[in-house]
Amino acid sequence: MSETETERTSEHRSRSESGTESEHAVREVMNESGRRGIRDHVLILPSVVCSHTVAERIADAVEGCVATPHDNGCGQIGRDNDLTERTLIAMGAHPNVAGAVVVGLGCEHVQSDAVADALEDRGVPVRELSIQGVGGTEACVERGIEAAEALRAGETVLDGEPGGDSDSDGAVETGTDGNPDIDTAIGLADLTVGIVSTDLEDPTVETADPLVGGFADRVLTAGGRVVVAGTERVSAHPEAARERIDADLDDLLAAARSGPARAPRVRRRAGERSFEATTRAWGDASVDELLEYGESPRADTGLALVDSSSRFEEAATVLVAAGAQLVVHVTGDGIPTGHPIAPVVKVSATASTLEAVGADIDVDARTASVDDLAAYVRSVANGTPCRADVHGVTSFAIERAGPSM
Amino acid sequence: MTESGAGAETEPEAGTRRAAIELDGTDTVVTVLEDAEAGDVVGDDGALELTESVPFGHKVALVDHEPGDEIRKYGEVIGVATESIEPGEWVHTHNCDSARGKAEGRR
Amino acid sequence: MDTFDGYRRPDGRIGVRNIVAVVPLSVAVSAVATQIAGEGPERAHATPHQLSADAPDATLEQTRRILEGVATNPNVAGAVLVELGTERVDGEGIADAVAAAGRPVERLSVRECGGTAAAVETGVELVDDLAAETADARRESADVSELVLAVECGGSDATSGLAANPSVGNACDRLVDAGGTATFSETPEFIGAEHILAERCADSEVREKLLAYVDRREAAAELMGADLRGAQPSPGNQEGGLTTIEEKSLGAISKGGTTPIQDIVPYGSELPVGGGLVLMDTPGYDIESVTGKVAGGAQIAIFTTGRGSTTGNPIAPVIKVCGNPQTWDRMASNMDVNASTVVAGDDLEAVGERIYETVLETANGRPTAAEVRGLREFAINELQPNELGYFDGDGIGDGEEVSRS
Repeated sequence: MSETETERTSEHRSRSESGTESEHAVREVMNESGRRGIRDHVLILPSVVCSHTVAERIADAVEGCVATPHDNGCGQIGRDNDLTERTLIAMGAHPNVAGAVVVGLGCEHVQSDAVADALEDRGVPVRELSIQGVGGTEACVERGIEAAEALRAGETVLDGEPGGDSDSDGAVETGTDGNPDIDTAIGLADLTVGIVSTDLEDPTVETADPLVGGFADRVLTAGGRVVVAGTERVSAHPEAARERIDADLDDLLAAARSGPARAPRVRRRAGERSFEATTRAWGDASVDELLEYGESPRADTGLALVDSSSRFEEAATVLVAAGAQLVVHVTGDGIPTGHPIAPVVKVSATASTLEAVGADIDVDARTASVDDLAAYVRSVANGTPCRADVHGVTSFAIERAGPSM
Repeated sequence: MTESGAGAETEPEAGTRRAAIELDGTDTVVTVLEDAEAGDVVGDDGALELTESVPFGHKVALVDHEPGDEIRKYGEVIGVATESIEPGEWVHTHNCDSARGKAEGRR
Repeated sequence: MDTFDGYRRPDGRIGVRNIVAVVPLSVAVSAVATQIAGEGPERAHATPHQLSADAPDATLEQTRRILEGVATNPNVAGAVLVELGTERVDGEGIADAVAAAGRPVERLSVRECGGTAAAVETGVELVDDLAAETADARRESADVSELVLAVECGGSDATSGLAANPSVGNACDRLVDAGGTATFSETPEFIGAEHILAERCADSEVREKLLAYVDRREAAAELMGADLRGAQPSPGNQEGGLTTIEEKSLGAISKGGTTPIQDIVPYGSELPVGGGLVLMDTPGYDIESVTGKVAGGAQIAIFTTGRGSTTGNPIAPVIKVCGNPQTWDRMASNMDVNASTVVAGDDLEAVGERIYETVLETANGRPTAAEVRGLREFAINELQPNELGYFDGDGIGDGEEVSRS
């Protein structure tokens, strides 16, 4: 058996000795579209359900690492398999990710080395190993920890985290004095904000969605970008949707007709309301683009719709896959889950939910203004942990597009 | 199933004779039980010479196959030849395709 | 008469482990369930999954069946059902079923607790209480005919059909001869071998059902517009010498032994005790498949592998039987039984006996390699909307048996 842990990066990011240090550091966490990361994770990415435990153990052992355990990666065909593979690659190439360790079992369909190759092509510092390749669970955890530590040691500290906890162990000094540089603080213009509203209850539609929609407009005005999920609105109101969305919706609508809705409760409520009422969280802008799973927006896109249902955990992954560094989640139910890669800001206007699980909700939409929400998002973008991250309740799921084989 | 072909107890000797198993008398392939190189031989009488290297667990054609011919293992059809295959050639996804689970039309 | 020492439950079933199950009703609380089990005693095992609170009715019904089956598996001493509080799946019905099976059960609503942090705190208390309540359970002698043994293969290669599967089949024959139940599944891996299985069916009714299930699994390739070959055989299967699904299937079916097929039941449905060889309709995706059979009441799983699958299950011990000598050399620490000696001419009967004895030892409490390593992979097969649309009216998802179209 040949060596399967691969050195993907021949050189670590080098530290500049000149006074232009911070510029370099910032540029290095920009992704292809020029967006900046707001977190600095090393991602431990299992390519299949069979290696998720190993991935989680590696992430638990090394500070600054997150894992994305999921149930996918084998027994999938056609578009279903493509979506999973594309999503995994998008997670690794995300601006919040400084580097990735891809962990496979070895015999699975979504092969860890293919995912690692794709990430390497996109300039992501990456290591790859498989349980079968290194000879078992313990060996894989051990080698994965070494790989994660190497990636951590090779990275530069993310600048511009005033008050943030960027002094994690293993991070290399940047040579700056550690004072936050006001010029590098992250603003709305630097953000792609993901937005999903997941229940369409009255308080959501009447109070929380309009607040978030106002914030979406603010982001666009500031020069940032917004991506939204929740295609039940489109399948409930195709004609109105066509007026607002500058994209071919035929495939989306055909898929919606091929079976029951993925989130039937939201679909039913969407049908009971107008298109306008169901899309208030999107703000007032026209939708420039419809994005497939794992697809990034065009450079000139302001507001994009991702082809995803309103199921939160799946939608969050699609929004993150589209490049959102941060997700705003309107939840009447009080769904508490966060996402391993992007902080999730929970917004609710539902009184019973705010009373019951107020500790898990970041923003009370009954009292917050757009200014308040914008200030909170800026704070989270600059390092303040959101409630879900404080409580450690992240979940990661990838939408399926067909049955397991 | 019946076992024939070379006994698995055969010691590999300097890359010539390799253990292999034919699972049924009607099979058109044998499975090699160790990594084998071109020029190695399999079978009780060493009659079948490999024309290319074949990894452990993979199949070697016992007979000529024309495109469309059935390929048999376990005494059952496991697929059809997609190109001509001569005895001693490696049989795998490059020259053998499933007849089942197709995107368009079944059986 | 062979016996083993297990835990007698009030409903008469016999468990081989004494687990406190922490079962989330939706993905929204999977992370909460994991935290509770992690902070609870060693006997507390979570079954985190990715199924949404909102899904089509048939999907929810299948989810409910699996969750209920898992929570009432004989290995479960008691269960905590964790919910957000807004799930559509019938939590009360599941709790009633657990209670009816004579196991203590608690429901934990995150909304009623006042948030995730409070729910984890309360959940740990509940788990501690259940563990204390069930701590005095003592093993008592039981007849081997009370065992329901699940058989699975994963990470297959050419040795699976030559060594590991026929050896395990021999062990299944021994168990069935002793009056027990053996079950195997993975319907896509009947394709190309269904005529052999059909001849072994106890009667024409079972035969028709089996062929109908195979038809439906094969038709999924048409539904997806992609050849099954994209997933079956997997890349690892192919690397290991398996060329087509037919070849894989012909090797796979030997793992159930040679006795008559008494029945085939839907995914996650109850398996009979003392039922002989009974098949279950599941995907070939091994983690989902094992989950289905454990939900059906299997107390132990045997999992054959050639490439080296390492996975376990939170509820049932999983015995790894390796048929590939090279894999055994490299990954012995993750394996329980070496069946690869069959490749070198070892007697199938002798290896079958060794596997059967390992089943009894495992039933008596000896931990498997996966248990020692805390490997507890778990995934529930989700009925997808396009699958429900495509097979509309075919009884899919409602637990009813299919009819042949």
